[in-house]
Amino acid sequence: MRIFSATLRKLVRRPATWVTLGLMVGLLALILLVLAVTTREGPAGIRRPMELLLFTFPTAYLFILEFILSLGGLLSVLYAASVAGSEWGWGTLKAAVARGESRWRYSLATFAAVAVLLGAGIAVAYTLGVGLDLLAGRIAGVDAGDLGDASVLGKLPEQMVRTWLVIVEQAAIGFAIATVARSQLAGIGVGIGLYFGEQFATIFLPDQVRYLPFHAANAAVDLGAAAGGAATRGAGTGALTPEEALLAVAAWLIGALLLSCLFTDRSEIPG
Amino acid sequence: MTDLALATHGLAKRYGARAALDGLDLAVPTGVVYGFLGPNGAGKTTTMRLLTGLIHQDAGTIELLGRPFGRGDRRRLFDVGALIESPAFYPFLSARENLRVLAATGAPTRRTRVEELLELVGLSERAGDKVSGYSLGMKQRLGIAATLLSDPQLLLLDEPANGLDPAGIVAMRDTLRHLAATGKTIFVSSHILGEVRQLADMVGIIAAGRLVREGRLADLLESEGVIRIRVAPDEVAAAVAALGTIVAPAQVDVVGEAGRITLQLSAERASEVNRLLATAGIFASGLEAGSDLETLFLQLTGSTAADGTFNPAGVGRVA
Repeated sequence: MRIFSATLRKLVRRPATWVTLGLMVGLLALILLVLAVTTREGPAGIRRPMELLLFTFPTAYLFILEFILSLGGLLSVLYAASVAGSEWGWGTLKAAVARGESRWRYSLATFAAVAVLLGAGIAVAYTLGVGLDLLAGRIAGVDAGDLGDASVLGKLPEQMVRTWLVIVEQAAIGFAIATVARSQLAGIGVGIGLYFGEQFATIFLPDQVRYLPFHAANAAVDLGAAAGGAATRGAGTGALTPEEALLAVAAWLIGALLLSCLFTDRSEIPG
Repeated sequence: MTDLALATHGLAKRYGARAALDGLDLAVPTGVVYGFLGPNGAGKTTTMRLLTGLIHQDAGTIELLGRPFGRGDRRRLFDVGALIESPAFYPFLSARENLRVLAATGAPTRRTRVEELLELVGLSERAGDKVSGYSLGMKQRLGIAATLLSDPQLLLLDEPANGLDPAGIVAMRDTLRHLAATGKTIFVSSHILGEVRQLADMVGIIAAGRLVREGRLADLLESEGVIRIRVAPDEVAAAVAALGTIVAPAQVDVVGEAGRITLQLSAERASEVNRLLATAGIFASGLEAGSDLETLFLQLTGSTAADGTFNPAGVGRVA
């Protein structure tokens, strides 16, 4: 618990934490504002679907979640890889081990702190995202719709938890890669490679790709048809059902954490 | 219990085909400052890493504070403070925050300990600054503070004087001396011989992964001292005869025909030699009390000084 809380305090002070959150919110704001202007000035033919998808609640709730799920997955891979890799690169893992700290416990506590911060990041990004969406809708000249729609709001907590879980799973992949590579840069590079590699793998492994970590993550959050683009995630690849995907996500999460802990526990720590 | 704070028996470690350690036997008594000397690549840092469980030996055993230390004995390190190679800190945190984060690992640490240590190493005024803005010397001082977090009984310090200015070196030496006086054992790896000479009670010299000499520094210096004299060539015989009253013939070596004489004698006796020659009416044109430790080091490790010659000043670094 001591390591967990110390790591949490440490990560809050880490610039990468705020850069990651800033990227997420900044890109969301940029996209919403660009689309708001486009919608306001665009031809009437594209206006209606855009209004419904982006700026009209309750579907806008799902659009924001979809955005966080998509970009957040990649950002979480990079963030977790950065945290894990720097422990090796800066020698701070070495310092902890030389003080008699348990290696696997240190690794697990560090990841737990990352997971908690990702949850907080999702909550902050989502809250800001709703505000930005309302602002963008006003710029676009679109009515906000029904913000209190019970059918969407009722499912939102579960969808948020699932989103957090799949983002944590993707972070665990980045964490494990950087741990095995013992390097921030290698972890980030390989993480990006795997993320995009899995998208290309759809071409070569159409049946297997649905079990891979990023596809399974996408399929595990059921945003329903109301989310428009979100409903098509995983389509064409024979995506798993959300429940099956959740199992796959849990398996990847546990596997990645086991790999990280075992590798940290068994490997030699260079200078 | 034994009175050894640190002992290794037949410690061996290979990196591929290269043997970094080849049967290292160390015996470090409790309460001493032990200088661990060796040329670059001799195995000093490998030894430090093994002693802190960062890597694992291929053969041999380690005892820390009288008890075996191996895989699964990490809690033995609760009584050990270690600074291995360069100090490791989070650059985006301040010195104070770094120590607090580190204090959350390993042995439980008193809350007031961080401030005490910042005061001890003279970083209190800069404790709130980010470590990324610290000089190497400041990081080194912070590293020494980090080793003391759990008030350990045994300190393992790898090149602790690295990056310190002269005042910092003196302060570090005083700190380590003070700690040794309180009964702590300090194991210092270094290749700065002058520093070790001023600090250590005992030295161990390692070469090619093996211990080639170990003992009380005073005893080693007494047995391995060298004094170099230059007199007029026609006074060599008289000088040797005069010197025969304080050294055995085997300890006197006449080098060439330029009037150079080498005595195997403790450097502390240089003034006695000078007085003896003067009494005999011989005035030396040169008299150098060589760095005994350096001489010993070079002889035992087969190293040469940086310029390939003997450096009697004894304050230079060995290549």
